[in-house]
Amino acid sequence: MTALLLGALGLTLSLIVPGPLARARWTARAPGATVVLWQSVTLAAVLCALGVVLAAPEELVRAHGADQTFGVAALVAALGVAAVIVVRLLVSVGLVAYRSRVRRARHRLLADLLDAHAGLDDVVRVLDGGLPFAYCVPGRSPRIVLSQGTLRVLDTQQVAAVLAHERAHLSARHDVVMESFTAFYRAVPAPLRSRAPLDAVHILLEALADDAARRRHGNGPLREALQALGGPVGDLELEPHDAARERRWRLDRLAPGAPGTDARLSAAIYAVAAAILVLPTVLLVVPWLDRAMHTWPL
Amino acid sequence: MSGLGDLEREVMAQLWDAGEPLTVRQVHERLDPARGLAYTTVMTVLDRLAKKGVVTQQKADRAYRYAATQTREEMTAALMFDALSAAPDGAARDAALAHFVGRVGPDGAAALAAALKAAAGDR
Repeated sequence: MTALLLGALGLTLSLIVPGPLARARWTARAPGATVVLWQSVTLAAVLCALGVVLAAPEELVRAHGADQTFGVAALVAALGVAAVIVVRLLVSVGLVAYRSRVRRARHRLLADLLDAHAGLDDVVRVLDGGLPFAYCVPGRSPRIVLSQGTLRVLDTQQVAAVLAHERAHLSARHDVVMESFTAFYRAVPAPLRSRAPLDAVHILLEALADDAARRRHGNGPLREALQALGGPVGDLELEPHDAARERRWRLDRLAPGAPGTDARLSAAIYAVAAAILVLPTVLLVVPWLDRAMHTWPL
Repeated sequence: MSGLGDLEREVMAQLWDAGEPLTVRQVHERLDPARGLAYTTVMTVLDRLAKKGVVTQQKADRAYRYAATQTREEMTAALMFDALSAAPDGAARDAALAHFVGRVGPDGAAALAAALKAAAGDR
């Protein structure tokens, strides 16, 4: 019974919850808490999978009253499968982290060599070229890369807002959050995984960086920078559909009269996130462990 | 930026501006002689750049000459293209870089590559 309930909960968390949560409008008013909620949902789904793997053999053995040898075999098999799940996750985390580091190191090197501002700043690098863009290279030795085109299109206030946005990404280590979700996505078998958490968390992290930037420089400059940098470049319509939608969502948050962040909503979301992790453990896993301790051939 | 990082950028600039392979001595002479830079330091920097793959070492007339593997424009275009195009595998969001606004889609990446190539050819 425990295995069935954990399985149902795990499938609900990984297949049913992500869709509505990604579409919900209230998340715009509590981006930080919602990122934590996504982490809690993802982690709880993994724990459910581990719970099913460990509980199902024990419950089958107990239901069929099998002998000692079969019980031992079932225990070993269960632990083996659980270990495979954990190792697969860890390997995925390691691979994503490694690939990111290689790509970042290359970017850092080239941006440092090409810097047109002659290293006036420890972090900011300016590249020749009219195409306006801005991005950051996270890590222990971070960089913010702007093009000359960006400096031409934006005024000082707007550049300051963009830099504040990027610095917020870097100092809050949003890259680590994004890497962990990417690693989970890659580790989960195709029929069970959903892109929704990845895309939702990405835009929530952008919202968090926007909030940090507007606290320092106000809504106006940031909104103008988003409009100027996101639109078509010359006659090139480069922005893919989902990026255009994300930009509209961010612009709506920065529009005059848009609701700000909501502390009470955030507190409620944090409580739900904690409950998703704690309640299944207390209500399902602990009673099962109690029973299993008597049954397992330990 | 660290002193060595500054020096790497300046050495690259000399190689790019020269437009032909330079010996360590030539690079050393072209860098500001007044700052008392040691010859061996320049050699170390060129060696580091060669290890990083942005400089090649050629042997000619009993002397090693160094050249940039890409022109400044080519390197800028390569960096921008890598930064702006979608993740190589496309399946998962790339977590390596964070962009102020969304990346370029597959169609946009092709258009961008053509535009960068045209821009590099203009010089």
